[in-house]
Amino acid sequence: MNNEDLSSEFSYPGLGEIIITNAEKFIDAVLNWGRSNSLWPLTFGTSCCAIEMMTFGATKVDADRLGTLFIGDSPRQADLIFVSGTITKKMARRLVNVYQQMPSPKYVIAVGACNVSGGLYWDSYNTIHGIDRIMPVDVYIPGCPPKPEEFLDAVKVLQRLIKEKKTKEDLLYGRRS
Amino acid sequence: MNDFTDKLLKAFPNGLKASDGGTIELTDKKKLLKVVERVRKNFDILFMLTVVDRPPNFELNYVFSKYEGRDILILRTLIKHEESIDSITNLFPSADWEEREAYDLFGIKFDGHPNLKRILLPEDWPGHPLRKDFVVTDEIKNWTGLDLKF
Repeated sequence: MNNEDLSSEFSYPGLGEIIITNAEKFIDAVLNWGRSNSLWPLTFGTSCCAIEMMTFGATKVDADRLGTLFIGDSPRQADLIFVSGTITKKMARRLVNVYQQMPSPKYVIAVGACNVSGGLYWDSYNTIHGIDRIMPVDVYIPGCPPKPEEFLDAVKVLQRLIKEKKTKEDLLYGRRS
Repeated sequence: MNDFTDKLLKAFPNGLKASDGGTIELTDKKKLLKVVERVRKNFDILFMLTVVDRPPNFELNYVFSKYEGRDILILRTLIKHEESIDSITNLFPSADWEEREAYDLFGIKFDGHPNLKRILLPEDWPGHPLRKDFVVTDEIKNWTGLDLKF
């Protein structure tokens, strides 16, 4: 192998470049670690899946130990929205309205068969057949309704996605400022 | 109850006739308001308004009941699909939402209704879904009413 090949393959970045890229990576890692461990959810419950969501926040299946604090249902302070329950076409506008009020970065968990694919109402004229038609969804929880333990699993999956920068927020809108 | 039904039938010999199961059928739909005004002397509540689509007619059933006693009165009338009918909102205020629902799902026009707009579906919804000739196409299934790009 010649010296010329080595120089063409291997370029030496400047010291400043190394520091900046590493600092960006480090800051992103710290931010994502913080975000993933304090996901404050907005609970958007419209039907039976909301009952399981309440159990998820209660004592036996404790949401607080993952940092998911059910602190007050305001979209202004929420990082995460649990869409649990059938979304009709009239409700779709309200849901999008609430979703647009959340500050970025924001994550969506679709709970239940109705929100994954339409579920029981697959043939209906008045339901949204999967809420990924109207908003980007990070994690899907199938089931009709799902168990409270599956909410824990979904939050763990979402935390992993945030740390690996693979959420829809990252993929659709790129780097956040 | 039977006494009242007989009195009602005698009062309107041209517009009313007895039908099966104790129902009263209104043959002349222009007399609806007068009949309902007479019914209001004995019955307090408009219990419900149901609509059945029997092409080419709509069958409207006005069910009246009372606070005291178990009597109910069913007033039935048939109208054509393109026809409209008088609103009884002035006589029974609870007819407001019932008539809006009938307008929403069947497309029946009620003359004299104060606020006739859709109640269950979004206002720009295409069609009236409980009609027999309504077909659930893919276009209607995918309709969201939102302008989204992603």
